[in-house]
Amino acid sequence: MSSRLTRATGTSLIGVAERRSSRSLLAMLAPIALVAAALALVPLWLGGSRVMMGVALLGLAFAGYAIGFNLIFGSTGQLFLCVGALAGVAGYGGAILADRGGLPILVSILLATLAAGLVGGLLSWIAVRRSLGVIFTGIITLIFSLTFENLLFGLGQMTGGEAGFQISSGAGTFLRELTPGYYLMLALVVLFLVVHGLLRRSHIGWGFRALRDDGVAAELTGVNVARYRVYAALIGAAMLGLAGATYAFTRGRISPTTFGFTQVDVVVLVMLAFGGIGSLLGPILGAVTFTAINEVLIGFGELRLLAYGALIIILFLWIPRGVIPTLGGLFRRRPSSSVDPPDDTPAPARREPG
Amino acid sequence: MTAIILDGIVLGLQFGLLAAGLTLVYGLGGVLNLAFGEMAVITAMVVLFAMEAGVPAAPAVGLGLVAGGLLGLVFDLTILRPVYRRKHEARVLLSLLLTLGVAFMVEGLLNWRYPLKALSLQIGGGAIEILGVPMRRGSLLASAITLVALGGLFLFFRSTALGRAIRSVIEDEEGARLVGIDPHLMLRLILILSGVLAALVAVTRSMVTPVNVKAGFGITVFALIVTVVGGLGTVSGAFLAGVILGVVSSIAASYIGTFLSLVILLMAAALTILIRPSGLLGVRE
Amino acid sequence: MLEVSRIYAGYQGNDVVHDVSFHVEEGEAVMIIGSNGAGKTTLFRTMCGLLAASSGKVRFRGEEIAGLPAQHIVRRGIGFVPAERHLFPRMTVQENLSLGAYPKRPDPETMSVVIDLFPRLAERRRQRAGTMSGGEQQMLAVGRALMSRPRLLVLDEPTTGLAPKLAHEAYEALNVLRRQGLTLLVAEQQVPLAMAFCDRGYVLENGFVRLEGSSQQLAADPRVRTAYLGVT
Repeated sequence: MSSRLTRATGTSLIGVAERRSSRSLLAMLAPIALVAAALALVPLWLGGSRVMMGVALLGLAFAGYAIGFNLIFGSTGQLFLCVGALAGVAGYGGAILADRGGLPILVSILLATLAAGLVGGLLSWIAVRRSLGVIFTGIITLIFSLTFENLLFGLGQMTGGEAGFQISSGAGTFLRELTPGYYLMLALVVLFLVVHGLLRRSHIGWGFRALRDDGVAAELTGVNVARYRVYAALIGAAMLGLAGATYAFTRGRISPTTFGFTQVDVVVLVMLAFGGIGSLLGPILGAVTFTAINEVLIGFGELRLLAYGALIIILFLWIPRGVIPTLGGLFRRRPSSSVDPPDDTPAPARREPG
Repeated sequence: MTAIILDGIVLGLQFGLLAAGLTLVYGLGGVLNLAFGEMAVITAMVVLFAMEAGVPAAPAVGLGLVAGGLLGLVFDLTILRPVYRRKHEARVLLSLLLTLGVAFMVEGLLNWRYPLKALSLQIGGGAIEILGVPMRRGSLLASAITLVALGGLFLFFRSTALGRAIRSVIEDEEGARLVGIDPHLMLRLILILSGVLAALVAVTRSMVTPVNVKAGFGITVFALIVTVVGGLGTVSGAFLAGVILGVVSSIAASYIGTFLSLVILLMAAALTILIRPSGLLGVRE
Repeated sequence: MLEVSRIYAGYQGNDVVHDVSFHVEEGEAVMIIGSNGAGKTTLFRTMCGLLAASSGKVRFRGEEIAGLPAQHIVRRGIGFVPAERHLFPRMTVQENLSLGAYPKRPDPETMSVVIDLFPRLAERRRQRAGTMSGGEQQMLAVGRALMSRPRLLVLDEPTTGLAPKLAHEAYEALNVLRRQGLTLLVAEQQVPLAMAFCDRGYVLENGFVRLEGSSQQLAADPRVRTAYLGVT
């Protein structure tokens, strides 16, 4: 009975009170710790294979991207089709600062992350100020993505153009060693997960949920929709940047295709759609699954694009909420924070006589 | 300079034709067809294979146009069914995602199977002078065809009962239903038309430069840019925006390079969205 | 001619209209009166096929039309003038009227009848519908519905937003049509006007039909007088 009441009145208000207990803090951290432990074992499992470690490292980078995108799109519904570009802003930015600007790597990464975050926040702010709906936000961010890609080509002198950018800073250090690089990336991913989890439990997360469930109602109850959107974009974009910059320095070589729309955005979209838009661990599931699938299909070259295309169609048609929320909806009784109320619940019939 | 501008007009007419197909479908059905470029590429392949099989150029082109129309119909009957069940923003979003999926499928398949194929219709004969600038016959024929097509579209929508009926659905769908017009039927017709337009785009473009299997995404992006600038749902807007952006692009390309000229086009679209979202000739919602 | 039986209709599972039944005989002018929110527009949208009824039947000239989409209902000889008019704003008066006849070609004779009825439309033939005043748009909406030569004309709040003089003109035009044999069903908030014009009426309140009777009967009913005619 109380669950129906919860569903009828909306998840947010009642949920917050429940969530503040320390028990649920553990409930949030435990799965993250489990996942971290499992992922930490991967290098042992892969043996010494450099190729496979490279794949795993890239997989973690994508996990980072997916978490960032999850925060922007999953939490506040902003369709940012510029995931790769935001990561690239930090990737190229950090590389240029370190190699051409001579700044220390850590400083470069931090500045680059900041830059990416600011760009993301700016895009969100613009979208909010001009009241751009989802589609126009998508188009504008797509434009940003394409612009960035073309600038990379057009400003070849600074960026290395089509040939790419060989990053000399950090060469020979532990960064370029794949296994330490992997653990560094893993640490970042865990950090992102914890930040996302904490955000969801905070009043900011409450604002996100209210906004996503019903923007108009949220506005009326005093939730500053604009502010939460921009926060989400700032933090999410910063995550994208941090992952991108770190990946750049661990891999040592970046090119426009490292951060391209087809190479990053499409894949992240599929990963997140599969894992579950808005769920905490969805991005990890998506990243692991599709890194694996990508490896299996590596021999098929361009045909992988066919697979991704088909998956996008299948996922958005039949499992729009992703695997984790769908499974969660099946198992759980009360509505969880990460899941929209299942829409197959029939609305209470209200045929009052007279 | 004249040469650059004339080249720009040739390009701009192409842009207009590109956008026409996309903008009609969006304006009428609220559907964003990101697979438009791939539709053009598929029809180009149809024409190419026909010609490789020995079919002369003209009937091969006809075949391509028919293929385009059929593609549009197939779209309406299959991938767009679930899209029609949603309304407004949800519909646009789902159409965006599903057509993106289709675009990737097509691009992946074509690139894997026929990575080196390209359609190129050579129009023989020497250059013709326009305003003192020697223009290739291919460009001129392409522009002429495009002008005729755009003119035909304009007349169709202005002067025929069917054309008016289609416009009325764009204007007010419920009003159209209340006078006996079936919006779904009109949308189906428009989709077939946009398929034919995609084929026409491929064919005319191939008269100027080869259309290869990788051209799809670029075509879609240009179509999107011009559609946004011209306004959703208006062919005249597509034409106007096309020519303007074509000339701008041509001028920019010769002074600052192709990549950066594309950036300028992208910025034009972004500015339109920010300053006047309805586009040049679109309706203010 | 039109028989509506036990219609329930509403939005997203919640019915706004409950168990509504009424009928319109050929040649009559029938009104449905009620205040804002009574359900008139929901009823209208259900009848014209823009909204699916939850249950109930609608028969027009012996044929079942409930559940048919709007574009089919209209072709059976019913003209609809919705409250929001739903004109085609960027198209001219001429084009709007021509489309009224769809799928047939606009008949010049019908066109001249409509122009006679609303002379102001003739002057503005080439003007875009969206740029006209409220009263003119209302005329255009009625004219457009007439272009298909309907047997029954259904109007939802035709005088909303019209100055009293224009409202009277509108009803005068409708009178002319009545005398030519058109059957009329009008949903109206401006009760005195409707009463003067119609033979019979139904009072709709909170989605239920509360009263029915001839105009004289309703005009004399004390409940109607207090609620709708401002008599204390």
